[in-house]
Amino acid sequence: MARTLSLILLLGNALQLRAQAPAFDEYQVKAAFLYNFAKFVEWPAGTFPNSMDPIGICIVGLNPFGSTLENMVQGKKVGDRAFAVHRFPDTLQAGQCQILFIGASEWRRTRALLEAVKSPGVLTVGETDDFTALGGIVGFRLDGARVRIQVNLQAAEHARLKISSKLLSLAEIAKKQP
Amino acid sequence: MPESVPKGRAGRRIAIPLMRWGVAFAVGWGVPTPGLAQTPPPRDLTQFTLEDLMNVEVVSVSKKEQTLAKTGAAIFVITQEDIRRSGATNIPDLLRMVPGVDVARIDHSTWAVSIRGFNGAYANKVLVLIDGRSVYHPAYSGVLWYAQDVPLEDLERIEVIRGPGGTVWGANAVNGVINIITKNAQETPGGLIVAGGGSDAQGEGLVQYGGHIGQSGDYRVYGRYSNLGKSDAASAAQPADSKRVQEGGFRTDWNLSPRDLLTVQGEIRLVDGGQTVTGVIAQAVPDLGTFGQPVADDAGNLLARWTDKNLNGSEISLQASFDQSHASASVGDDWSSIGDLDFQNHLSAGRRNDVVWGLSYRVNANRFGGNDVVTLNPLRRTDPLYGAFVQDEIILTKTLTLTLGSKFEHNDYTGFEVEPSAQLVWAPSAHSSIWLSAAQAIRQPSNIDEGLLAVSSVVALPQGLIGLVTLSGNPSTKVERLRDFETGYRAQINRRLSLDVTGFLSFYQNLQTIEPLAPYFTSGGGFPHYVIPEIYEYKAHAQSYGAEAFATWNVSDRWKISPSLTMLNLSVLRDASSQDPTVAQVAGYSPRRSFQVRSFVNLGRGFEWDQTLGYTGPLATGNIPGYLRLDLRFGWRLGEFFDLSIAAQNLLQPRHAEFPDSDFIDHMQDQRSFFGKVTWRF
Repeated sequence: MARTLSLILLLGNALQLRAQAPAFDEYQVKAAFLYNFAKFVEWPAGTFPNSMDPIGICIVGLNPFGSTLENMVQGKKVGDRAFAVHRFPDTLQAGQCQILFIGASEWRRTRALLEAVKSPGVLTVGETDDFTALGGIVGFRLDGARVRIQVNLQAAEHARLKISSKLLSLAEIAKKQP
Repeated sequence: MPESVPKGRAGRRIAIPLMRWGVAFAVGWGVPTPGLAQTPPPRDLTQFTLEDLMNVEVVSVSKKEQTLAKTGAAIFVITQEDIRRSGATNIPDLLRMVPGVDVARIDHSTWAVSIRGFNGAYANKVLVLIDGRSVYHPAYSGVLWYAQDVPLEDLERIEVIRGPGGTVWGANAVNGVINIITKNAQETPGGLIVAGGGSDAQGEGLVQYGGHIGQSGDYRVYGRYSNLGKSDAASAAQPADSKRVQEGGFRTDWNLSPRDLLTVQGEIRLVDGGQTVTGVIAQAVPDLGTFGQPVADDAGNLLARWTDKNLNGSEISLQASFDQSHASASVGDDWSSIGDLDFQNHLSAGRRNDVVWGLSYRVNANRFGGNDVVTLNPLRRTDPLYGAFVQDEIILTKTLTLTLGSKFEHNDYTGFEVEPSAQLVWAPSAHSSIWLSAAQAIRQPSNIDEGLLAVSSVVALPQGLIGLVTLSGNPSTKVERLRDFETGYRAQINRRLSLDVTGFLSFYQNLQTIEPLAPYFTSGGGFPHYVIPEIYEYKAHAQSYGAEAFATWNVSDRWKISPSLTMLNLSVLRDASSQDPTVAQVAGYSPRRSFQVRSFVNLGRGFEWDQTLGYTGPLATGNIPGYLRLDLRFGWRLGEFFDLSIAAQNLLQPRHAEFPDSDFIDHMQDQRSFFGKVTWRF
């Protein structure tokens, strides 16, 4: 009898199933943000040798986007520039990247990865809680079910990137811990 | 919640082909009204403005899977939500949800907790840490769970690692580590009052307050009282297992500079409990008897930890802790002072190497209060333990990581010991990984192993004579050794389902046995009697294999199910030279199979309905039948300030036994119980 009771109680939970409100996957939205950053960030002169060079989005370490990011930016352009998505095990080739994403799975070496980005003009983007404190430029944060952005202005200046006030107005400004 | 409709789409009636997935949605039939939107929004996020993107609600997979993506060990994290919604009022009850962990309640004051077998009141094969401070008691060679009563509201998380390989911490992480981590003081500002009461005379009150200190510090201070009455008389002849805890503590966290963090925390805890003991009564002519015995622990501890991140990416941490306790348990009284100093350095060496290394020094000063039944020789002992470890995580390719490491320890019983380990992790994406590990671990000996002198039993012999069975420690102590091989698979299968599976194969050597020596006749103590001596030896070995699996399934946005399964096949055998008849029983202290399903439902408006249904297999030793257990919790979050809950445990039966008598402690039956709690934050 007790076992029947427990089964009924558990099955009763099934009554909580409701029609699903369509929601987006966290990484679809983050990929859309990366695409948008290209529209709202100005890279220093000389970043692109040619006018047709693509905007490089690089993912360092494990890739949480699957194919979402590539699919999203395929065929899109900002100004005249298309996108190219690369993956690297570390940040030594950061010079090819205008946008550099470091995922949560790299949390243990995020600091080392950021320190190894020597060339200016790289917009570093991450999602760990201390990303901007460690010197990253843009950090994603989840506030309940919404994605928020934190921007480290000093790091942006150090990378000689100009972030449009439109993007800044929507972001939280974070301070760097040297 | 109304679906957010991207601005700029209002009024459009065009069906827009979207994305590579070839899905077409029609948008904006009529003027969309917030709250009544029935049509799904367009799925091409590149058309969304920045404001739109910030308003979109996302389904997020737990970061746990990603932060664990490169971990080459079987790890389970008990989160704050797990803790809050479990209805548990103590740490062992929380550990029931972890696959691979055996938790059995012996009585209201006493628990048997172990990982992958070898369970008992003084189970000694698991390292238990609270904020990096080991709570393994050197004199009893086990953890006194009744003395570890950290307020659950202050727990950040509990990490449980099964198996020895994934650990860099100190001694005795043989079958695993339970790492209990409290919240940073920054996370507990303001006031907190918790009051609860329930059946079995259970009551609890916590008062806590936290705030800032100057510009860069945060603190919290708490005081707590809790009480639990005896098991009911139907459980046993003389329940004596009431328990009362009075404790107070503080934690301060400082950002000394942007690079330096300092934590100082301390607590004082007075625990009074009791057990029903069946053992030898110290009297002129010793005899066996059953009697109620108080157990207690008056303890205080202080811990300071300093972390420095310096400019070239390396991090140093230094931790010093001091622990003072006076404990009385079924085997005797003990005064203990433990000092511990730990240094760790984490640095990147080259592009592909992530190195952690450390040194530790631990000193136990013990004084055992011996009596005629149980004593230690010497009664006072000071034992230093020196340790060092090094671990290198090597990135072989984008997806393959190899971690090699070793612990080195020097103790005063067996000298120098080495515990190497290796893990290989293949992570083809951030969403799935496969890992392999191999490691060796040892159990550090303690004073009981070497210096115990106890009368463990009294037997009646013909002609009115009695025989005293004595048990002595062995000066030639050996270390129990484990060689362990594991593999696991961890994946975020889709955005609603994640899975973690582990398999292991373990080989144990030099397990402790009790070997008989030649009996002799004596008139010592003023009465003629036989002495049947027994001595600790290390003449057993064991092999165990098994698997643990758990999954998290977000059935809907309001309903989450977490099932878990544990399988353990442990066989403990005596070596050819052993004559210990009890070795065959050791494996029977853990169930071969257990499973659990936890269900969490958000009913809306702050109401929560949580259930745990679990089956624990029978214990071959002590004839403890398997049992099915149902715990329920109904909670109500009233805004940000109030949290009410009613929980029931063991609903299916009025009482059931979970563990046989252990280490002279008579077991009680765990009862059906109810507990209501009010939490007020201000």
